[in-house]
Amino acid sequence: MSSGVGSTERNPRAGAAFAGAGAGTSLLEVTDLTVRFDTDDGTTYAVDKFSFTLGRGEVLGIVGESGCGKSVTMLSLLSLLPPTARVSGRALFDGFDLLSASPSRLRRIRGREISFVFQEPMTSLNPVFTVGRQVGEVLRRHLGATRADARRHAIELLDLVRIPAPERRVDEYPHQLSGGMRQRVMIAMALACDPKILIADEPTTALDVTIQAGILDLMRDIRDRLGTAIVLITHNLGVVADIADRVVVMYAGRKAEEAPVEELFAHPQHPYTIGLLGAIPRRGVDRLREIPGIVPSLSAPLDHCAFAARCPRADELSWTEVPELRRVRPEHLVACFHPGEEGTV
Amino acid sequence: MSYVDTAASDVLSPRARRRRLRRRRLARRPFAIAGFVVATIFALAAILAPWVAPYSASATDFNAVLAHPSSTHLLGTDELGRDILSRIIWGARASMQAGVLATGLAMAIAVPVGLVAGYYRGWVDPVISRLTDVLLAFPFLILAVGLAAILGPSLLNATIALGVGAAPGLIRVARGETLALREEDYVRAAVANGASDVTILFRHIVPNMASTLLVQGTVTIPAAIIGEAVLSFLGRGLQPPTPSWGVMLADAQSYLSQAPRLAVYPGLAIFLCSLSFNLLGDGLRDVLDPKTTR
Repeated sequence: MSSGVGSTERNPRAGAAFAGAGAGTSLLEVTDLTVRFDTDDGTTYAVDKFSFTLGRGEVLGIVGESGCGKSVTMLSLLSLLPPTARVSGRALFDGFDLLSASPSRLRRIRGREISFVFQEPMTSLNPVFTVGRQVGEVLRRHLGATRADARRHAIELLDLVRIPAPERRVDEYPHQLSGGMRQRVMIAMALACDPKILIADEPTTALDVTIQAGILDLMRDIRDRLGTAIVLITHNLGVVADIADRVVVMYAGRKAEEAPVEELFAHPQHPYTIGLLGAIPRRGVDRLREIPGIVPSLSAPLDHCAFAARCPRADELSWTEVPELRRVRPEHLVACFHPGEEGTV
Repeated sequence: MSYVDTAASDVLSPRARRRRLRRRRLARRPFAIAGFVVATIFALAAILAPWVAPYSASATDFNAVLAHPSSTHLLGTDELGRDILSRIIWGARASMQAGVLATGLAMAIAVPVGLVAGYYRGWVDPVISRLTDVLLAFPFLILAVGLAAILGPSLLNATIALGVGAAPGLIRVARGETLALREEDYVRAAVANGASDVTILFRHIVPNMASTLLVQGTVTIPAAIIGEAVLSFLGRGLQPPTPSWGVMLADAQSYLSQAPRLAVYPGLAIFLCSLSFNLLGDGLRDVLDPKTTR
């Protein structure tokens, strides 16, 4: 692992054609990922045969409503779910199956090869230690850095995530920083070991809008400078439009639609995607459209289209069979019996 | 981009600023200060007994048996002419030692056990929890008296008995704190960043429950001090003629009608000493609780 944190030599993977979404060898290849939770209340089918790939240096957006299985999908890859979870499928990371990895092997991958940034910057830092120590802890754990080295690298990392006056901030406690600053610290921690994949789970949801833009800008910059592949989990298509190369829309634990970002925004096929796009605030649109109804309970395996109850296009077929993914354009997949842009169906 | 404005207090390091805040909070709590002062006086008396006690604890003055308080014997003398003030000062040693060491022992037992139960859950947690439930069903003093009876009377054994007796309550506190802290976002973030169990326990959980444990400790100390006095009073702790407040109370029984002060002064010492630690503990809880705004 290179030690030149924050320096320009640190981006051996940068410069490649990142926009070549999904093409070539993929860094992460998830096949038929299925996650169930066996609880006293019965079984919840959280994720159902979900497959996706992530290319090197690619930014993949995973979009969906709360409870659609976005976070569960990513947490399951590193066995970060509670013990009630039953995970099956395959997740090849650089050719190595994460789902059958030993706990100690996983611990070495977590935070070093694949790292997480969570939604709650206000509570994701330990209140009793300075931010410098917390960033340094990751370096010391994974790279065996000395205390002095860790501190120096921590300052460089805080600078990398554009925290002003990092020499002073490094000795401050989390409660002295604002939410946006704390999220930057979390990103610095996640980037400490130059991971190949950064998984950001709703990184901007808890922040106000101006700060959101700054964080997204930072993530884009990180991809460009360090070549880190990013998985951005969000319920907000607007956020995805800003920085993702490719988007996967999830609904009720399944993939509803997948396409490069421009394609998805220009030619959305799945009625759910169209519904989500209608819910983005835009100038000139007086009233946001909502998607009627709620996300279905996942207490039984689906035997029909999960979106049928909320879908204007639902017909008898939707209620009797589960739609398989089909390719409508070379890089555009959709799981719907009646795909098509609004007004064409 | 917004960040916290530090211009107003730029001169101080974050650590110094926190310390100053705590001092201010403490200064607003006169009872806590009083508790701190009195507890310190007792502690100093115990440590400096050979120098501050006017007489040796066993020095007898047969010209002044059961003497009233006077300038030579500030609190009078007992049935053997021993200076009561001196015996109270020497007795503070036993009380402090029992209070502090028993609490330390209880912590040493309770923290690891509570951490294991609260963090690993599984079958360990119910086993430990039910065991503490059983022990908590015994009143603390009954448990301590029973243990002391088994171990035999001495200060060391009394301390062990009190420490073991106080452990179940602390195990419950440590387990509860661990259960709450393991669900914190920063613990989950640390796990996601590859932290091992040891790191999680000792860098994330223990430091965050330290203030709770400190407060629990300051209320366990007076309980152990009273416990030591009770054990000694019952003849299961220190043995006469070793000076101890409990021993003094036991000795005073036969002279209650002639010289009630023989019981009053050591009783007062026990009362003041426990009260001071309790007040200090209450104050510390307020000062260290980050949710307190004043």
